[in-house]
Amino acid sequence: MLKYVFILSLMLPSWAFSQNSAFKAGEKLSFTASYNMSGVLTELAQVNMEASEVKTSKATLLRLKCTATTYSKWDSFFKIRDLYESYVSPTSVKPYLYKRDIYEGGYTKFVQYKYSHSKGTVESLIRKKKKGGGTYDQNKTLNISSSTKDIVSTIYYLRTLNLSSYAPGKNMSLTVLFDNKPTEIVISYLGKETINTNIGSKTCYKLAISIKNSNVLKGTNDNLLWLTADENKIPVFAKFKVAVGNGELKIKSATGLKN
Amino acid sequence: MRKLFIILGIIASVLALVLAVLPLSNLAYFPAIAALLFGLMAFYISNKNSQSVKTVQLVFLLTIIALSISIYKSIFQTVEVGNTEELQVREQQSEEEAIEELEDLDLEDLDLE
Repeated sequence: MLKYVFILSLMLPSWAFSQNSAFKAGEKLSFTASYNMSGVLTELAQVNMEASEVKTSKATLLRLKCTATTYSKWDSFFKIRDLYESYVSPTSVKPYLYKRDIYEGGYTKFVQYKYSHSKGTVESLIRKKKKGGGTYDQNKTLNISSSTKDIVSTIYYLRTLNLSSYAPGKNMSLTVLFDNKPTEIVISYLGKETINTNIGSKTCYKLAISIKNSNVLKGTNDNLLWLTADENKIPVFAKFKVAVGNGELKIKSATGLKN
Repeated sequence: MRKLFIILGIIASVLALVLAVLPLSNLAYFPAIAALLFGLMAFYISNKNSQSVKTVQLVFLLTIIALSISIYKSIFQTVEVGNTEELQVREQQSEEEAIEELEDLDLEDLDLE
């Protein structure tokens, strides 16, 4: 018995300092993305978010993978096969490698960011299709701050925040590197709300998201994200409003949860 | 007046039919309802003036076809993800490449326990 107590006491500090108590390798979240056209929601695509372990000779990282796939009925019109990946530290969700490989209705683009946190730089590689066939690479080194993340790790990082200690109305800003540009995103905590989802009725933290100096997202408090108000902080519902309309992202299933 | 309703009815019903055939079948309900209303108005006016209702019948026929396609689709067609084999191959490749890239990266500051 004493032995267990001793082992437990040894492990306790690491639990206390570990920031990520929300997700682990093996977690799979599946969402349905719908687009709102004149009041009718049309289901467009399936979005999957998966966390898995990746081992290199030096370390074990967490691979966060997001894919977007259009439903078959849309494939002949506008086929989307997007892959977003971020390789992050399992504890702090600090990104080390980001990859974005998209196929959207014939348009392809490959983006890779290699982070070097000690130097405060990112090596960016953008690969696009040439008009006549073939591809061309564009390499750049960008300076980043220590908290700069990519889009995938930012979504997961939001889940590691201790939202229960936040007062409604609290704002926080995050820097997201997207298309070689550091973009500042402001997240405001709006309070708790209970909503019905496919995985049951959940009490959620309601967050509003806005992008500074950008008009991609429209309206104030029209771009919302609901994270379950438990240890897992699963993103169960998201609403967004852009110039061409608004859409929703609803959870379909969640497996491999940490808590 | 009758002509106007018939023209609007035909436009709405054709639009409904086109939308019903496309993956946007949910949207076909709006023009279908409009087409029915225009059709009814035209039918009412035609009857009152004892004129031919042939074209009005065409509007109804097109609308009924559009509505049945949309209703059939919304009941029986389940949404499913298309072929993702190519994407899975890409995912796999990407992971392998990523491991190589990560080997070269400076992971010394990695805050692992």
